Amino acid sequence: MRFSDLISLIIDNLGRRKGRVLLTAIGVVIGTAAVVTLVSLGAGLQKSATSNLWGINDLSSIQVSPGYPKYEPGMSFNEADIKKITPAVIEQFKGMKGVKQVIIKDNIRGGSLLKYGKMEGWGNFNSVSVPDIKDLGIEAAQGVTVVEKGQVILGSQYKNNFYDPNQKPGKEPEQLPDLFGKTIDVQFIKWDNEGNQTIRRAKLEVVGILKESRSEHDWSMYINNDEMLKVNEWIAGKRIDFSKEGYNNVVVQAISPDVVVELAKQITELGFQAYTPQEAVEGINSFFAIMQIVFGGVGAIALLVAAIGIANTMTMAILERTREIGIMKAIGATNNNILAIFLGEAAGIGFLGGIGGVLLGWAICAVVNALGSSLLASGGGGGAGTQLNAIIPLWLPIFSVAFATVVGLISGLFPSLNAATMVPVDALKYE
Amino acid sequence: MSNTSFVRVSDLYKIYQMGNQEVRALDGVSLELQEGSFNVIMGPSGSGKSTLLYLVGGLDWPTSGQIEVDGQRIELMDENQLAQYRREKLGFIFQSFNLVSSMSAEANVAFPLRFSGVKKAKRLKRAVSLLERMGLKERIGHKPTELSGGQQQRVAVSRALVNNPSLILADEPTGNLDTTSGTIIMDLLKELREEGKTILVATHDPRMLQYATNAIFLIDGKEVTEENYKKTIQQQG
Ligand SMILES: Nc1ncnc2c1ncn2[C@@H]1O[C@H](COP(=O)(O)OP(=O)(O)OP(=O)(O)O)[C@@H](O)[C@H]1O
Ligand SMILES: [Mg+2]
Repeated sequence: MRFSDLISLIIDNLGRRKGRVLLTAIGVVIGTAAVVTLVSLGAGLQKSATSNLWGINDLSSIQVSPGYPKYEPGMSFNEADIKKITPAVIEQFKGMKGVKQVIIKDNIRGGSLLKYGKMEGWGNFNSVSVPDIKDLGIEAAQGVTVVEKGQVILGSQYKNNFYDPNQKPGKEPEQLPDLFGKTIDVQFIKWDNEGNQTIRRAKLEVVGILKESRSEHDWSMYINNDEMLKVNEWIAGKRIDFSKEGYNNVVVQAISPDVVVELAKQITELGFQAYTPQEAVEGINSFFAIMQIVFGGVGAIALLVAAIGIANTMTMAILERTREIGIMKAIGATNNNILAIFLGEAAGIGFLGGIGGVLLGWAICAVVNALGSSLLASGGGGGAGTQLNAIIPLWLPIFSVAFATVVGLISGLFPSLNAATMVPVDALKYE
Repeated sequence: MSNTSFVRVSDLYKIYQMGNQEVRALDGVSLELQEGSFNVIMGPSGSGKSTLLYLVGGLDWPTSGQIEVDGQRIELMDENQLAQYRREKLGFIFQSFNLVSSMSAEANVAFPLRFSGVKKAKRLKRAVSLLERMGLKERIGHKPTELSGGQQQRVAVSRALVNNPSLILADEPTGNLDTTSGTIIMDLLKELREEGKTILVATHDPRMLQYATNAIFLIDGKEVTEENYKKTIQQQG
């Protein structure tokens, strides 16, 4: 028997019992839809949980800080014991396998006061050694992410940093306008040993506002790296020798998240403190992997029920068509031909149900996502809550249809074997 | 004579065990059918006619004995060999037509060729030419329920011929038909015999004897002579 003939015969046979095929397939549709929806919800929850916990999705970064010796009672603190991140160490990091780039972060070493109109605030100035702070995995909501001298980029929560020092009780507090494009007055402050303060004034133009990232960047302000060095040297009153002092905070970026854990281990072995969200994220991932398996399992049980339906339908169909089986044998069909026909019909029901289930599951996910985002919108757009979001991984529809087909095949196996091995004369005499 | 035997049956037994009772459907039958002969098995109901036919057709296994068709031992074949034997050598015609009710006349006739891997266009061409020969040109697309009994049986005969078999096994082919339709079928079988096919028909219908080149009389699973057969029938009334 030709394969194309087999397929067309199976399609004809399914076609002449449309009603029953449909009813049987509905079981598979529901089971498959359950698998697709639940697994997608699991994937969606995982994504939003990980991104909630680690504002930035940047899993390829390692935060490195100097290594301090373990404190033991009676131990006197010795500066020489601190493992400092000197420029030579930076070069060493850069030379490690799997490192994409190393970003040095710095911050202001004295006080700072911000002024705009009547409003005042504290400065939380940072800088990075790369021209574009985008490299940290953050984006601009307004303006640019490259900051030149005389400019500043503000974190998304900057407004909460300002207040009106002359606020009268009972009076409506003044609202700080959008500072994008505006210029703010800054006072850098240093104190000498007697406690006298000296002020250095600057004007900074706001050239960018960062997108909310639910991380420390939301509260940071970025100025140019050279400007930062100048201010810090003014505060220190001398040139800063980084080969002696070392950097406080360095980000080592890996070429891919896969190598992060290994890199962090190497850096720790060198005596530095290395922190990566990877390990925690991996823990969360494995939790959600289990959740997806459980969710998928619930769907699989639904499919199992559907499988019993298929087995039942096939058994009925084979009883009804016993004579037909006898006829087919009398006109020369082999046992394998009969087996293939009935298995094909069972698999066909599974396949059709699988496709229907993927479509239904996809529709449910679309509804869930639409509801999820409208709930979010009505929730005030804070966006800090857990987002109900279904993500359909690419493999899922293919896997689901294949799985449903296999379910059909397996549930059809026993009835089909029965059909194939009938004694022809018994099948022909069957009423 | 035995050199030209197309079918040779020797010492054939088919015994059904029903609880502690034995039913001897065939009780030691031996036959030789010549190539191109028209053989009619006569016998009252329950005498074992169908059983004999099915055993020759390889649709069932004998309790003991030998069946040789065209030099091949049927009772020794496995299921795949039997399927091939039926596909290549046999054409079956049944009392109740046994057409597939969901298929058109054309599709029913062409059906066996699917299992022999013949391409669709060729299958349908052959089916149409056979149906034309049976005078059913106008009925090609009809389902069995849209055909009369006589027409259905002619579709069934076409199906039995589609693989150009050398042996035709017919179990009461006129049993469900009126006299005229029955005659048409019997004439068709005669024509086929004249084309060189070997025919084996099981029937109650004494008219069939006019076409026979060889008659076999069965009573209680045993072959008997024509005189003994007639005597027994008369005794039973
Ligand atoms: N599967 C079976 N189990 C038990 N006994 C059977 C079975 N099949 C047939 N028989 C018995 O074998 C005997 C012969 O049956 P068979 O069908 O060959 O008769 P027949 O000559 O074709 O009769 P009819 O003219 O009524 O068709 C009968 O007595 C029948 O009851
Ligand atoms: Mg019979």
